[in-house]
Amino acid sequence: MQPEKFFYDNKIVRNFGIATVLWGIAGMTIGLLIAVQLYYPGANMHNQYTTFGRIRPLHTNAVIFAFVGNAIFMGVYYSLQRLLKARMFSDKLSAIHFWGWQLIIVSALITLPLGITTSHEYAELEWPIDIAITIIWVVFGINMFGTIFKRRERHLYVAIWFYIATFVTIAVLHIVNSFEIPVTFWKSYMVYAGVQDALVQWWYGHNAVAFFLTTPYLGMMYYFLPKMANRPIYSYKLSILHFWALIFIYIWAGPHHLLYTTLPGWAQSLGVAFSIMLIAPSWGGMINGLLTLRGAWDKVRDDVVLKFMVVALTAYGMATFEGPMLSLKQVNAIAHFSDWIIAHVHVGALGWNGFLTFGILYWLIPRIYKTELYSKKLASFHFWIGTLGILFYVIPLYWAGFTQGLMLKEFTPEGMLKYPNFLETVLRIVPMWVTRSLGGCLYLTGVIVMAYNLTRTALQGKLLANEPAQAMPLEPVNTIARESGWHRRLERRPIQFMIAALLVILIGSFVELMPTLTISSNIPTIASVKPYTPLELQGRDLYIREGCLACHSQTVRPFRSETERYGEYSKAGEFVYDHPFLWGSERKGPDLARIGGKYPNAWHYNHLMDPRLMSPGSIMPDYNWLITQDLDTSTTKAKINAMRKIGVPYPAGYENIANRDLTTQADAIAADLSRDHIKVSGRKEIIAITAYLQRLGTDIKANKTTTK
Amino acid sequence: MKHQRIILLFAFIFMGMPAWAADDNLVSAELMNDIGYGAIVAILILFIVVMLLILRTFKVLTKIMLKQQGITEDQVENVIKAEKKPKNETWIKLLSLRPMSEEKDLLMEHEYDGIQELNNPTPAWFMYLFYGTIIFAIGYLLNYHVFHTGQLQYEEYRTEIAKADIAQKAFLSKSANRVDETNVKLVNDPVVLASGQVIFKKNCSPCHGEHAQGVVGPNLTDDYWLHGGKINDIFKTIKYGVPAKGMPTWEKLLSPKQIADVANYIKSLHGTNPAGPKEPQGVKETDDKLALN
Repeated sequence: MQPEKFFYDNKIVRNFGIATVLWGIAGMTIGLLIAVQLYYPGANMHNQYTTFGRIRPLHTNAVIFAFVGNAIFMGVYYSLQRLLKARMFSDKLSAIHFWGWQLIIVSALITLPLGITTSHEYAELEWPIDIAITIIWVVFGINMFGTIFKRRERHLYVAIWFYIATFVTIAVLHIVNSFEIPVTFWKSYMVYAGVQDALVQWWYGHNAVAFFLTTPYLGMMYYFLPKMANRPIYSYKLSILHFWALIFIYIWAGPHHLLYTTLPGWAQSLGVAFSIMLIAPSWGGMINGLLTLRGAWDKVRDDVVLKFMVVALTAYGMATFEGPMLSLKQVNAIAHFSDWIIAHVHVGALGWNGFLTFGILYWLIPRIYKTELYSKKLASFHFWIGTLGILFYVIPLYWAGFTQGLMLKEFTPEGMLKYPNFLETVLRIVPMWVTRSLGGCLYLTGVIVMAYNLTRTALQGKLLANEPAQAMPLEPVNTIARESGWHRRLERRPIQFMIAALLVILIGSFVELMPTLTISSNIPTIASVKPYTPLELQGRDLYIREGCLACHSQTVRPFRSETERYGEYSKAGEFVYDHPFLWGSERKGPDLARIGGKYPNAWHYNHLMDPRLMSPGSIMPDYNWLITQDLDTSTTKAKINAMRKIGVPYPAGYENIANRDLTTQADAIAADLSRDHIKVSGRKEIIAITAYLQRLGTDIKANKTTTK
Repeated sequence: MKHQRIILLFAFIFMGMPAWAADDNLVSAELMNDIGYGAIVAILILFIVVMLLILRTFKVLTKIMLKQQGITEDQVENVIKAEKKPKNETWIKLLSLRPMSEEKDLLMEHEYDGIQELNNPTPAWFMYLFYGTIIFAIGYLLNYHVFHTGQLQYEEYRTEIAKADIAQKAFLSKSANRVDETNVKLVNDPVVLASGQVIFKKNCSPCHGEHAQGVVGPNLTDDYWLHGGKINDIFKTIKYGVPAKGMPTWEKLLSPKQIADVANYIKSLHGTNPAGPKEPQGVKETDDKLALN
């Protein structure tokens, strides 16, 4: 047989590389902006489109799906071709994939500041974009499997196992977490409500970390690290063990995001138990990477690319040890909702994803441009300023997390909360937030230096768009001897491999999701909990639009410190009409689950207009536009109809009179405000959001008075 | 001489401690803590320094003694070097690493784009870690869901509240902090009023105004009261709030003494006629200040 000649497609790799750097800078700049807003609310430029609640999701989406997403595709398109000895299946599909993905990012960049969001964390994009994501993901899948089918290498290397697992699991996660019923073109409601919605969301959220930020990066590590260090992979057996254990166990761990909530106890415990078991499988990747460098540590001293890789692997090891520790409920009780979690995810994001991406870029760009890196000194500068940036970022946040977590739980001997005013604990950690933004600034500086360095590199070289290669064609299957080892045999059957990976991740998903979604005893109902009135429903959608849940949770955990501070702990039955749930994951301000009836309407009006009038020193931004903007009531009918379709018991025909009820309630609130000398029309948005806030957590109180 | 000094230092520290502890009026508990931590850290550092000194002394002594026996320094160095090697090997064994020289035998025959793989076993310590976490996970589930030896969240909450109640009652029975709406006294002690003012500025002024002239909440300086103007009434209104009208419940946020202080401060503001008063609300009441005087 003659070796076949073909060309690797480097242009698509280069395109994804450029997108990685540009979106990375954009995403990190937005991150820096919201970090500054935490201690200087005026940094929102007094503009609703650049206010924390709306652009925090933009930061997370840009960094996860634009920066890391493009980096994944860059790494996969480079390594897949070479590991399979084949050009990508279709140049057209590659181009559709590239431009489609960039278009999705641009649509996120437009819709999120406009307040168009589902409120599901890391899945904020509305339903039309969800459909676009599905299509583009399928295009990527076809392109990847098409390449696998025309491969010139019989067996699939470990990197490709990870790519396959990434592809199938993200598809499953995205589809299940996007069950939403469209109301208008840019608005939908989640089909699940309350506890069920929370479980689906965090099953998704946790595994987005697992299968978007971890498995594809492990795959890339398995290709690029041995190439960079010119060393063999330390242990093939370890690869097999940690791959299967990782994907099987990871999928179960989602409920650890919902400890001490109203999620059934058995689901919480499963989440904790599987999180602990995740330590070793996660570390398997780090160990295999670091031991691959055995015998090449002298190279690490001079080679900046390897330095990035070593720090990335170390950060990965730290974050994957810390994660299970945070899922222990005793630790979680203090750390959850605090800055500790932000520090934890940034060890992973800045250290693992960021540094691994930088390492690959520094290695790959000179190779496809057939030149040397423009400046090793600048790359080295990037490494040190980046490392310093990570330290300046995470250490103050760990400190802030401990401080606030402990302050919120402290009691005086009289049995009173030592810091009854939530704001007091916030003001204590403001200096740490300032230091954190400095860390972020250092890190971003490094990335900008890298962008310059890579541009100069590209300018001094010339892109080898089609890199010639040759390999022997595959011999027919019947000519190869039966191999010993079941895994070796599985490695040459891509479809069976994909099905096996799919089955492995479906086990945990079914065991945890199915009972919660179908068995009613898991969600005890409360008779006095009624659907929201039309005005409250509109107010709730404003709450979602403004992204209030970025800073305010809506679930009181059963701790003395929380029931003293906020009132009775939350019950599962209180959330049955919450499509979507709005428990939040962070507390930059107090919990709002029981805010209803706590303050007069006038307090809310003044507080939303300028939070500092009502709580001096508050870091919450002004929401002046709620006072000037009219509420859009044209959507009320569609909203009531959609809610009824997903099980909210509005009476038949109610959609036709909903706006009448809405006006009556709004006028009553406006009249109440006028008694406090506040002149505002009942048509304004602030009336609706006040109505919603005043409703929160009050249903259960009605229950008390009737049973008494 | 040196040892004597250290012993003396320790003796001083230990003798000093009870003296500080007994004098808790002069030194605050927080400062005591800091001194305690400082002392612990200082002792630890001292300990390390002493250990290093002893080590150094031993080294010097050995060299002198070996020299006296006629052994040259080169010979000593060789012995030390030879001893170091096996130490390194135990480390490698612990990590289940095979020597680099054997690597060639471990190379597997396949390669992907030039990447080879070694047929190393999974490290033993890694497997122990994995089994350990699996045992922990099984134990965790058994503890909470089979044997019910661990408390799940709601049970844990009841325990926490019960414990806190006992501690709180024990504390309050000992202290003078037992004032409530039935026995609160009207006083014009400047200390009480000053404390009340601080609490007022922090918690009440956003709704009632800087000078209690009334903003969202009513004017507190006029003769008109919605929920009674006697010290007991004011105490009660603050303590339980009037949720229907937007007055929050302060029972959980302020201690009984704090509520009494701020109630007295409010009483002291009567008739101050601040600028921009809110219109009168409620019923006109005669002042009970006269009754006290």
